Amino acid sequence: MYKSSFGEPIMENLLKKHFLSQTSIAPLITFRIVFGALVCISTIRFMCLGWVKDHFIDAKMHFKYYGFEWVQVLPPFWMYFLHGLMLIAAAGIMLGAFYRVSAVVFFLCFTYIELIDLTYYLNHYYFVSIIAFLLIFVPANRLVSIDRWRDNSLKTNIVPAWTITIFKLQLAIVYIYAGLIKINYDWLFNALPLKIWLPAADNLPIIGWLMKYEITPYLFSWMGMLYDTTIIFWLIWSKSRPLAYLSVIIFHVLTGILFQIGVFPLVMIGATLIFFSATWHERIYNYFGNIFQTKYQLSSYKTNKYTLPFFCIYFAFQFLFPWRFLLYKGNMFWTEQGYRFGWRVMLMEKAGTATFYVKDGAIGREGEVLNSDFLAIHQEKQMAMQPDMILQYAHFLKNTYEQKGVAEPAVRAEVFVTLNGKPSKLLFDPNLDLTKIRDNWSEKTWLNDFDNK
Amino acid sequence: MRYFHILLFFVFLLALACKDNSIDSAIVKKDTFDRKVMLQNFAENLIIPAFSSLENETTKLEEAINQLATNKSDQNLVIAQQAWETTYSVWMAANAYNFGPAGEDGIRKGLIEEIGTFPISENKIETIVEKNTANFNDFNRDARGLLAIEYLLFDHKGNSAVISKLQANRLAYLKALIADTKTRVSTINTNWKTYKTEFVSNAGTDVGSSTSQLYNEFVRSFESIKNFKLGLPMGLRAGQTKAEPTKLEAYYSSKSLKFMRLHIENIEKIWLGKGTKEGIGFKAYLETVEGGKALVSSTELQLVSIKKSLEEVPTNKTVENQILTDASKLTILHTELQKNTRFFKSDMSSILGIAITFASGDGD
Repeated sequence: MYKSSFGEPIMENLLKKHFLSQTSIAPLITFRIVFGALVCISTIRFMCLGWVKDHFIDAKMHFKYYGFEWVQVLPPFWMYFLHGLMLIAAAGIMLGAFYRVSAVVFFLCFTYIELIDLTYYLNHYYFVSIIAFLLIFVPANRLVSIDRWRDNSLKTNIVPAWTITIFKLQLAIVYIYAGLIKINYDWLFNALPLKIWLPAADNLPIIGWLMKYEITPYLFSWMGMLYDTTIIFWLIWSKSRPLAYLSVIIFHVLTGILFQIGVFPLVMIGATLIFFSATWHERIYNYFGNIFQTKYQLSSYKTNKYTLPFFCIYFAFQFLFPWRFLLYKGNMFWTEQGYRFGWRVMLMEKAGTATFYVKDGAIGREGEVLNSDFLAIHQEKQMAMQPDMILQYAHFLKNTYEQKGVAEPAVRAEVFVTLNGKPSKLLFDPNLDLTKIRDNWSEKTWLNDFDNK
Repeated sequence: MRYFHILLFFVFLLALACKDNSIDSAIVKKDTFDRKVMLQNFAENLIIPAFSSLENETTKLEEAINQLATNKSDQNLVIAQQAWETTYSVWMAANAYNFGPAGEDGIRKGLIEEIGTFPISENKIETIVEKNTANFNDFNRDARGLLAIEYLLFDHKGNSAVISKLQANRLAYLKALIADTKTRVSTINTNWKTYKTEFVSNAGTDVGSSTSQLYNEFVRSFESIKNFKLGLPMGLRAGQTKAEPTKLEAYYSSKSLKFMRLHIENIEKIWLGKGTKEGIGFKAYLETVEGGKALVSSTELQLVSIKKSLEEVPTNKTVENQILTDASKLTILHTELQKNTRFFKSDMSSILGIAITFASGDGD
């Protein structure tokens, strides 16, 4: 069917081998169970830490994602309901129960919650969101699942290769893009920001003593870059796979100990299991019973004809979107234009102090805003260094003070930002009336240049 | 892959080698900073002395108030007022440590909210006095603490006005206020003696570590000078249409400037780690980290400007009076404090790698 679109035999072979040929369902089953279990743990952890209350219920304002301003925080009961529903759906994914519905519900709940407040944007939340999205399209419930137990006709032990390849491809993008962006002068030759972060971890057991050495941040920087850019290839190659996976474990455990990054290390350690061979996965299941002993292969799954074109578009987006920063001038780390959704993880140490002033247009009296009147500590911290959030907050202040009786409020802000330990500088002219500026995709020309000021 | 493994192996070897100190010259062991030493200095040289003298002074204040209650003489009032002034001066050296024994616990907020809230609510205090309904476990923090005591001991109309108002209920509340304050302070002072070990050994930089808690309170304390001791009463807050000098700290005793000076002095002491003797503080810590020296010199310069502008605030006029007539010197002080905010608030935590909030970071 797809033969005509690809002239060269190489492409045709690749397509056959990695997308259309039939392969064991085992890696996909493992991926489903592990992912489901981890998002269960993650959801429970989130609720136990009281973050539903801290992040959503207690907040006086929320920072919106561009284009998703319509995503609103729900009343407290519904916020807990949404998290409860998400937990059930996560369990549904893990157990393969009402799988397709569970995957859709989980994806929608999780994504909705993430879109409520830009403050809490994390690459790994974005990762969870898109993996949940991809899971909707694959028959990961056709073995070792409650669905299969309920309906034997679902039973399948082979699936088209694309159902596994899409996850590998997605993981490859995550790692390689995270690695490529590390190839920059500060990261490699100044060992920044690790030179800042590692000494702060010098009291850790076992590895703490390492942090006392001048050379450690350099080694970690280079290792991190090499790891991220190449690990996928070592995982693909069967000979290097065991050692590569060992380094996956070491790497993520290490970052998990060093930094405050929640369940993310576990997610990556679990997700990369998909690179192991079908036989490796089958052996695990056979340990529990004769699950993959059947000689004949059984397939009840057919690929929809729109599937491959759809994923072509999806991956074209995934490949290209992170590069949008090239369309903007200036230092991406400073302006953050095109920074998000591009797998830029633990890449810079940035912080700011933002002081806002509201001026009454009628009487000309100007007053300083106490940010803690409106923002949680984490919101203020994130806002103070990200231009789009600063704009949103300025517009929020305009509306708030207008309601309080301030006539035609003008809002300006003095924002000092420090990047990778360099002395803090003004992010933009403190006399600008921010209410006159709207956020959009175009160049943020109102920002100061990082290098020349 | 082979190279990758060789590299891994190399790192491993290096790691081992470092431990043996055999190739130290090649990798240079850093002059690392021992946070435990800094924390110990803070505990022994600053925090514990601050809480002990606060306990001593509150005890003396309680005695003075009891004496005033037995005999409402002018002289006894003056003694009580002086005891209050000393207590509040000492409090300026203890108000930045609202964690551990002095931190939040259930309905109890940090010590500064419980005994240092201002402006107080005259209405609430008068209602409590009138109905004789003292309660120290509610949310009416603006009706208790040292500044509620101040309200009952001082009056702009003079001491005779104070004495004439000091009837039985009022005296009873005054005694209850100092008793509550003293209990809170002495409990904290006692608990710090055992908490010290935990404080010194919790030497990480994560949320909840001693360094992080101390740092957060240090910044909050510093910011409160600009925001609450100057900005709010001066009417510099967004939405304010005029100055509100009644919102000054120590409005009734008119000692705002003295306490502000002591507060700023104490901020500098925390910065230097200087208590009863010289020691190690945030400044010394910063000097050992990447980008720290530049930040230390900018901060020190700005601290000089702050002190200079503080010296220029007239002492022959009360702060209230200045706010109402000519606040120019106070405005300069406000601006100088603002200039230092970024150094303490974001630059410092950024290069020290101190975690401020518990939310997960972006994982790698």
